[in-house]
Amino acid sequence: MKLHTASETVSFVKELEEKSAQFYEDLAQRYPNNEDVFLAYAKENRKYSTQIQRAYYSVITDAIEGGYAFDLEADDHTLDTELPEQASYSAAVDKAVEIEEKMIRFYTVAAEQSMSLMADVPRNFKIVARKRQKRIQQLQSWT
Amino acid sequence: MTILEEPIKGTPTTKNYIDGDWVESKGEILDVVNPVKNETIAQVAMSTEEELDDAVKAAQEAYPDWRRTPPVARARYLYRLRELLEENFEELSRIQTQEHGKTIDESRGETRRGIENVEVACGIPTLMMGDTSEDIASGIDEYLIRVPLGVFGIIGPFNFPFMIPLWSAPYAVATGNTVVIKPSEQCPLSQTRLAELVDEAGFPPGVWNVVHGEKKVVNAMLDHPDIIGITFVGSTPTARDVIYPRCGTSGKRVIAQAGASNMMVIMPDCNVRGTVPALMTSFFGNAGQRCLAGQNLIVVGEDNDFYDEFMDAVTATAKGIIVGNGLDESVQMGPVKDAGKKEKILGYIESGLKEGGKLRLDGRKPTILGDYPDTCFLGPTILEGVTPEMRIVREEIFGPTMGVMRAKDLDEAIEICNQNPYHNADAIFTSSGKYARQFQYEVNCGNIGINLGIVAPMAFYPFSGMSGSFYGILHTQGKEAVRFFTESKVCIHRWL
Repeated sequence: MKLHTASETVSFVKELEEKSAQFYEDLAQRYPNNEDVFLAYAKENRKYSTQIQRAYYSVITDAIEGGYAFDLEADDHTLDTELPEQASYSAAVDKAVEIEEKMIRFYTVAAEQSMSLMADVPRNFKIVARKRQKRIQQLQSWT
Repeated sequence: MTILEEPIKGTPTTKNYIDGDWVESKGEILDVVNPVKNETIAQVAMSTEEELDDAVKAAQEAYPDWRRTPPVARARYLYRLRELLEENFEELSRIQTQEHGKTIDESRGETRRGIENVEVACGIPTLMMGDTSEDIASGIDEYLIRVPLGVFGIIGPFNFPFMIPLWSAPYAVATGNTVVIKPSEQCPLSQTRLAELVDEAGFPPGVWNVVHGEKKVVNAMLDHPDIIGITFVGSTPTARDVIYPRCGTSGKRVIAQAGASNMMVIMPDCNVRGTVPALMTSFFGNAGQRCLAGQNLIVVGEDNDFYDEFMDAVTATAKGIIVGNGLDESVQMGPVKDAGKKEKILGYIESGLKEGGKLRLDGRKPTILGDYPDTCFLGPTILEGVTPEMRIVREEIFGPTMGVMRAKDLDEAIEICNQNPYHNADAIFTSSGKYARQFQYEVNCGNIGINLGIVAPMAFYPFSGMSGSFYGILHTQGKEAVRFFTESKVCIHRWL
C-alpha cells in the first residue's frame, strides 16, 4: 500500500510507534533486569508519535502540499515484532536493533520526500531518527 | 485504507444562535447534503427577515457593554475560544469534510488557518493602539484612537465554511464590535459547531450571533439600518453587482472578496520535482473550489522538449490522484460540493473543447476509491491549446481543471496574467531571482506566489485580492481587518 497524504503517513507513524512500544513492553516483562530501560523506550515511542502528530497539526494548511508530500511503500516499512517464546536476551536485543534500523529508514525516507513540502514535520522525522540512532548504540552496548 | 469516523450523526436541524440562545427558525427547511454519498446529513432552516432582525437587535443591545469591555479582557474571551478550538480540532475538521467533501488534510489545514486568525486577534490590545503627537502646536497635542462601530454582518461561502468567517469575526469582536454571521446554507454545520464553542467560551449574549439562511437573509443584512458594515466572500457577480453597490447605497463599509481565474507561470528553469506537487495542490486541491486555486498554467518558452517533459510529469501525477471520500486518509481529492456544480464544471470543459482546447487528461468520468455514487465526483482534467480569450480562462470555473497555455517569454506570460479579468493570485515557478522579481513587480494581482501554488496569506497579512477579485479598500485578516472594524477618532487638545 502506498502512502501519499500527510494524514495517512502520520497515522502510519502512530501505528509503527505503538507497535514498537508494545514490543518493548513485552521485553520489559521478559527481561526484568532491564525493565526500566525498555519501559522508558516504550514511553519515548509514544512521545515521538505525539510529537510528530503535534508538528503535523501545527503546520498543516492549504499552502503546503499535504496531499502529495509522500510516496512511501508502507509494506517496506511495516514492523515484524514477533519474538519466539524461548528467544535469548541477545536475540531479543538483535530484534530491537532490527526494528530501530527499520524505523530510522522509514523516518529518513519520509523526511527526504517531504523536506520542502511539509515544514516542521520532516525536521521532526529527522530528530526522531537521530534519537533512534543513539538508542541502537545503547542496545548494541548490551550484547 | 482508514476511513475516519463521521462526527455528524442522525439528521440534526441547525438552529440560529441569537443573544446567547439556540433558536429554532420558522423558515423553510433545506437539506445539507454530503457530496460523497449524496445523502442528507442535516437540515438547515432558511431564516426570515424577522429572525435576522432579532439577531441584529441582540447584537445592537450587546454592543455598548462589549465596547466598554477592555480590549485585554475581550482578548481573554478569544484566548478561551482558541483553547476550545484546539481541543476540538479534529471534530471541527471532520465536520468540514463531511459537509463539504474536501479531504481530511485539507480540512485540518482549514481549521488551522481559522485558529490562526483567532490567535492574531488575541493581540488586539497592541493591534488597536492609536497614535499620539505631542506639541503639534505649542501646548497642543493630537492623538488618534481606534474605536469600534457597532454591528457587523459576515456572509460566508461554501468552499471554506469554517475558516472564512474567521477572517473577519475574531477581529470584529476583538475590536469591540458585535457580529451576525450568515454561514453558507450548503455547509452550515462547522459554523454551528463554532458558535457552540463561542458559547462555551463564555462570550456575553449578543456579541456573536449566527443566522442561517440564503438570499433573503443576505438582502435583509444589506438593507438593515443597524448593520454598519459587511464582509462577504463569494462569486464576482454577487460581490460586484449586489454586495458592493448595495453597501454603497446604504452607507455600509464593505469588504467583498470575489472570484478568480489564477495563473501559474512555469519558467523552463523551474525545479520540476518541487513544482509538480505544488501544482497538484493548486489546481486540484479542494477539488479546485477555492479562489486561490490555479486555473491556468502558462508554460514559458519555445522549447518543446521541456514542455513535453514537464507536461508528462504533470499529467502522470494528476492521473494518479486518488479521488474519493475525504474521510479516507489516502484520498487526495474529494468531490465537488453538489451535482449542480459538477454540471457547471462539465459545461466549462465542453466550452473549452468547442473553442479549440484539446484534452490531455479527461476527468469527466473518474475512478472513485470506494463504493460511492458518482453524482458529485470529477477527476482532474487538463486541457491544452487554451488561449487567453477562451471562456475557460476568462471565467471562474471553480473545479478541478487545468487550462494550459504557452507564452514565448515572461513578458508575454505577464501580459496574459494582467489582461485576465480577475486579479486574485498568480504564481511563478522559477529558480531565477530576476524572473521572480520581474513577475512580482509587474503582475497586477493581490497575492503573488514564487514557487508556491496556493498563495494563502497568513492571518497577520491581508487576504489581498485586486480588481475583479475584490471590491472595497481594506481586506480581511490582520491589521487591515482591525482598520476595517474600527473608525479613527482624532482628538486635538489644549489645556487653558
